[in-house]
Amino acid sequence: MSINHLCRSIAVMASLCLMASCDLIDFHPYDVHITGDTDINARNVSRIEEACKDKQQIKVAAIGDTHRWYDELRYFVDAVNERNDIDFVIHDGDISEYGYTQEFLWTRDYLNELKVPYVALIGNHDCLGTGRDAFGAVFGATNYAFIAGRVKFVCLNTNALEYDYSEPIPDFKFITSHVTDRAGEFDCTVGVMHARPTDDVFNNNVAEVFHQYMLQLPQLMCCINGHGHSIHHADLMGDGFIYHQTASIDDRVYLLFTFNNDGTYSYEEVAF
Amino acid sequence: MRKWLFSVLWLLGIVLSAVPASATEIDLDTIPSDSLRRLRRYEQRMKRMEERWHKLIPSYGKWQFAGNMGLISLGTGWSYGKNKQWETDFFVGFLPKFKSDAAKVTLTLKQNFMPWKWHLNEKFFIEPLACGLYINTVLHNDFWVRQPDRYPKGYYWFSTRIRTNIYLGQRITLKIPQHKRFFAKSITAFYEISTCDYYILSHIGNSGYPLHELISLSFGVKLQFFD
Repeated sequence: MSINHLCRSIAVMASLCLMASCDLIDFHPYDVHITGDTDINARNVSRIEEACKDKQQIKVAAIGDTHRWYDELRYFVDAVNERNDIDFVIHDGDISEYGYTQEFLWTRDYLNELKVPYVALIGNHDCLGTGRDAFGAVFGATNYAFIAGRVKFVCLNTNALEYDYSEPIPDFKFITSHVTDRAGEFDCTVGVMHARPTDDVFNNNVAEVFHQYMLQLPQLMCCINGHGHSIHHADLMGDGFIYHQTASIDDRVYLLFTFNNDGTYSYEEVAF
Repeated sequence: MRKWLFSVLWLLGIVLSAVPASATEIDLDTIPSDSLRRLRRYEQRMKRMEERWHKLIPSYGKWQFAGNMGLISLGTGWSYGKNKQWETDFFVGFLPKFKSDAAKVTLTLKQNFMPWKWHLNEKFFIEPLACGLYINTVLHNDFWVRQPDRYPKGYYWFSTRIRTNIYLGQRITLKIPQHKRFFAKSITAFYEISTCDYYILSHIGNSGYPLHELISLSFGVKLQFFD
């Protein structure tokens, strides 16, 4: 092989590498080097609020614990896209398995294929390493609320064990503020969280206190949570109030809620 | 930390003094004087010792871009084996802040194996295959080797701090002619296709998963100072 030949083949190889490099260059799994869409929740919340403004009834598909089951996540997206009665999708946490940056981007890209808007909550796995920073950059704040129709959805970070007292988890101030925040715009409330009271990552010293705080929210219908990896409708505190637990996505079943503006609701388990 | 370093050096000393030296032995009976004999022995011993210590001096410097060990990594290491087909590198990497709370420093220990050398001409040779394994760690408080005590036993089975990577790559080396040498005797350019344990784990069981998400591309340069 001559030097000329060699130089030419190196040049070809280098240009091929450069073309592929955008996808192939990785600095570190936990680098929080975000490419593409960011601040998903804020943008989708305004889409949801706009689209549901005058609706009497809201249909919400709830999933969670997608971890690294990307095939199943794709099947779910296809199943929702085939329907036209769902208003939005809630992912109730554990977007990632290891908390490394690319996991958030993969899940985001799959969920971005949904025709309807979606919001995501932070799960305990999403707090690992730099996961919290990646969640913040891609999805946004870990406590947030929005209104669809006349129903307010209060989304909470309940992964207390991951924060080791460095931040108030769950944030009671945030819950209380949403008793009155935008008071004229909603009549009833739904709570959404990753871990529910009594779960291993929840701060169980305040499990009952948390429940009482939640009940202060105007006409709280129910709570939706993940973390347990199986569908479970639990009357946790023995007062008839239900925490609806979603399955992990590999079970290939989602919860479909119908919330009415008058404070009544129903749900079904939909296999896909 | 310092105590640990001392014990490592001490152990290294023991290992080195046990290695047989390559210097040829002189027939001491031909030397008449006792003191001269003692001096010769002393000199030989010192020579052997120096040779052993010399082996500890890193023989090259490396620079690597990307490859899941930081944006840029600077390293050094030792080449050894009959045809210098083995290399052990130690890198310090820099990972920018991006959207996280702080920039980070990473450390990497890398083992390389290049089974063949193809000499193109007087100046160039190619190593058609370089392969190996590297272990990377991040120096930052949010990462752990084993899960902290606050978690229930066996909650997270994996380590967020230690990443194991494997790679395949190729190299080309320019031998610098003796009269033109200033800093190094040869300069090598290389590229590597690597993957890390996380990428493999995320890939398992997902059929619709593109290959470019599994592999990473990195580049680097090596300056050979000594053999």
